[in-house]
Amino acid sequence: MKRPEDCPSMTDAEVNDRLERGRKGDEQAVLELFHYMYPHVAKLVYANLPPKEQAEDLIQKACVKVITHLHQFSGKVPFLHWVSRIAVNTCLNQIRHEKHRPELRLADLSEEEASVVEHLATATDELDASDRVAASELVEKLLQGLRPNDRLLMRLMYLEGHGVAEISGLTGWSGTTIKVRAFRARAQMRKRYAMLMKENL
Amino acid sequence: MNPLDNQLDRLFRAAAPLAMNPVPPYGLETRVLAAWREAGTPGLWNMGVLVRGLLFALLIMGLSLWPALSQKSTPEADYLQLADSSLQVDTNP
Repeated sequence: MKRPEDCPSMTDAEVNDRLERGRKGDEQAVLELFHYMYPHVAKLVYANLPPKEQAEDLIQKACVKVITHLHQFSGKVPFLHWVSRIAVNTCLNQIRHEKHRPELRLADLSEEEASVVEHLATATDELDASDRVAASELVEKLLQGLRPNDRLLMRLMYLEGHGVAEISGLTGWSGTTIKVRAFRARAQMRKRYAMLMKENL
Repeated sequence: MNPLDNQLDRLFRAAAPLAMNPVPPYGLETRVLAAWREAGTPGLWNMGVLVRGLLFALLIMGLSLWPALSQKSTPEADYLQLADSSLQVDTNP
């Protein structure tokens, strides 16, 4: 018998088979579905909710929601899209109450992050692999200035490289909404980044 | 392209997450399964109802049969039963 941990990817037919068996009470099928969807849920939640403790609670919440509502999955969209929507909504419900969007100053950056800012301003080449962690942290700080929906969109589009159609499938937003939101969010990020550049001079 | 946009793009490219396959932390699988069992599935729920219904029916049967089964045959009991049956005969035309 296959261990659930050995099932990182499944074909559509395999997913449908596990769904049918899971709805009838097959625990093994439910376990395999859980291990299949876990990386997607974790990636989405970690990307949208930096505090690690909250992230793990939300991952559990999202996974439980999916597993206990398998009977509600209609099959009109791919299973992972449905799972992603649940994960996204779980995150957005959690962070919707955030109102405070702090200003970002150069003094708020670590030495490594400030070094990344300087490199970007003075050189034209791509950042080094060793700057990856600092770059990632700097992006997080820039994203903190955005509304939750915009933050999610920026991550999906620029960090994970999803296209408009794919983002529409994951979130349920229309293509027009995505383009308009992306344009505005990008402008806001540019503004925040410009303030850092100004201080760096 | 706005030079700031170019810098932002380079920053995003550097910050793009590495492909990862996160593993569920210890205990999460158990908790998710526990929640699933508690929520129940249509199949399991029906089985539970069937079993509970059967047990309840057996209990009722047992309770109703208990007086009859527990009654020991004694001369007094036989006498009372005889009196009962004769009364019934008399009252019925």
